[in-house]
Amino acid sequence: MGAAMVPVLAVAARKVTGEVSRERIPLLGIGAAFSFLIMMFNVPLPGGTTGHAVGGTLLAVVLGPWSACISVTIALLIQALLFGDGGILAFGANCFNMAFVIPFLGYFIYRFVKDRVKGERGEYAGLAAGSYIGLNMAALCAAMEFGIQPLLFRTAAGLPMYCPYPLSVSIPAMMIPHLAVAGVVEAIFTVAVVSFIRKASPGTIHEESSARVRPLYTLLAALICLSPLGLLAAGTAWGEWGAEEIGSVVSGGKALGFIPEGMRKGFGFQVLFPDYTVKGLPDFAGYIVSAAAGAAILVIAFKLIGLAKKTVVKTRERRSRLSR
Amino acid sequence: MPQWLLHDESYAPPADKDAFVDRSIRSILGAVSRIRSRSVRRPDEARLNPGMKLASMLLLIALISLSRSFFFVMFSGALLLTLLSLQRAELILRVLKVVLPAAAFTFAILLPSAIWGNFPGVVTITVKVAVTVAAVGLFSATTDWGAITGALKIFLLPDLFILVLDATIRYIDLLGGLSLSMLHALKLRSVGRNRMKTASLSGIAGSLFLRSRAMAEEMHAAMECRCFTGRYRIGRAARVSPSDIWPLAADAAILFVFIASGA
Repeated sequence: MGAAMVPVLAVAARKVTGEVSRERIPLLGIGAAFSFLIMMFNVPLPGGTTGHAVGGTLLAVVLGPWSACISVTIALLIQALLFGDGGILAFGANCFNMAFVIPFLGYFIYRFVKDRVKGERGEYAGLAAGSYIGLNMAALCAAMEFGIQPLLFRTAAGLPMYCPYPLSVSIPAMMIPHLAVAGVVEAIFTVAVVSFIRKASPGTIHEESSARVRPLYTLLAALICLSPLGLLAAGTAWGEWGAEEIGSVVSGGKALGFIPEGMRKGFGFQVLFPDYTVKGLPDFAGYIVSAAAGAAILVIAFKLIGLAKKTVVKTRERRSRLSR
Repeated sequence: MPQWLLHDESYAPPADKDAFVDRSIRSILGAVSRIRSRSVRRPDEARLNPGMKLASMLLLIALISLSRSFFFVMFSGALLLTLLSLQRAELILRVLKVVLPAAAFTFAILLPSAIWGNFPGVVTITVKVAVTVAAVGLFSATTDWGAITGALKIFLLPDLFILVLDATIRYIDLLGGLSLSMLHALKLRSVGRNRMKTASLSGIAGSLFLRSRAMAEEMHAAMECRCFTGRYRIGRAARVSPSDIWPLAADAAILFVFIASGA
């Protein structure tokens, strides 16, 4: 997926440096900060839980799709690399889903509806449709990326190496929560924020002449045709985002707690514990590794106990100081 | 003295539901405080070449995810644990706070496939996730953020991205502080049950956007005033120091075990 994103980002960077004046460069950084923070806004959901919006379509509408692409990419990079919330290998896939599919598809649908339905109603319908469909298409892409993995990557014993669930499981698992909840949250949030900005400060929203929509059409058609191909090609070349991606879902905080009972037959016949014996390595290697791991775990445990004690002492001191 | 002044006030506001405001505050506060804590330099941190560290981390993650050998995964897990155990307790705690939930989530989500006979796979994938997340966490926790962007320049990333990356970190701090004060204001001014809070959330996001527009203009003006065109130069050439032998040795060991364990 990283390979698929490189040309997109290169074009985006050229577009932004070439066409956009230097004036807009700060806006990209600040837009990225904005999108990073938008992902942290929790929205109440029925049933007392909360969820968060991605804001890809929102950014595409207010900043323009190319700027949104760069902004979301940067926000994801900061999350993965600087905050250490995992997702280094999934970075390419995440960028494709969240920095490319959502802004461009969302923006295209928004423009499409807005150009056809006149007035405010058309605008808001476009926003809602764009953000809802954009997010769900991104979720579908992610589900395909998950579901393709057991087909592509198997161990010698025929067991899946990364994500073990086939498409028939991963697509409903990803799509049902997104169609039902996350997409609705995204649509409501996008419409509400854009209508606020329109009311509070009209004219700040990115305006693009209708003549420039045409290249978007072609780009989008190409995207739709290429996306399954790109998935396959990038999968065989890269493929290693599997394990990491699962971890990144946690940091993304997405609603993925749903696992349908639809496991395919392929798993039933596998032997529990295929041989772990390591060829070409003496037995003691395993002992050394486990000894090192055990020692390290002990050191970590003692350090953490020490830390806990320190904080207890500190709070006690503070309390005694306060009581005096 | 009017009569109503003598009465005791008996207004008990109904309990309000504002978990989502609290959660937003908590997550934004977390991000902002992490950025602020990173700007404090600690002299005791190992001065390894950040580019070397980044390259080693990427190599380790790539090999772990490519590897089919359980032994290699366990070896890199032991290596990571050893590195982790050398750090300060606060840092260990911070890394573990990310690693353990990620591993637990992976394990839980893979559990149904274990019932169908893929138990070894479940264990391997969980360990892989834990090790890769720990590697990134350790890297980001022990490396100065300025050094990370510098290391990206060595990796030939375009200047535009680095500039935007730097600006983003700064403005997450600034805009984060702004949104925190707006969220606090929303919380403090909601007396009793306030059903309009959800609507105010979009107002906060909208104001944040308008504010960021204004800030971008200010930043552009500041760039112009200082004749900064957005082009970066590395001030200090990345020197190879004797301490760089450690990541190199670790890389060699990782590669050796990867090949020896049959990939």
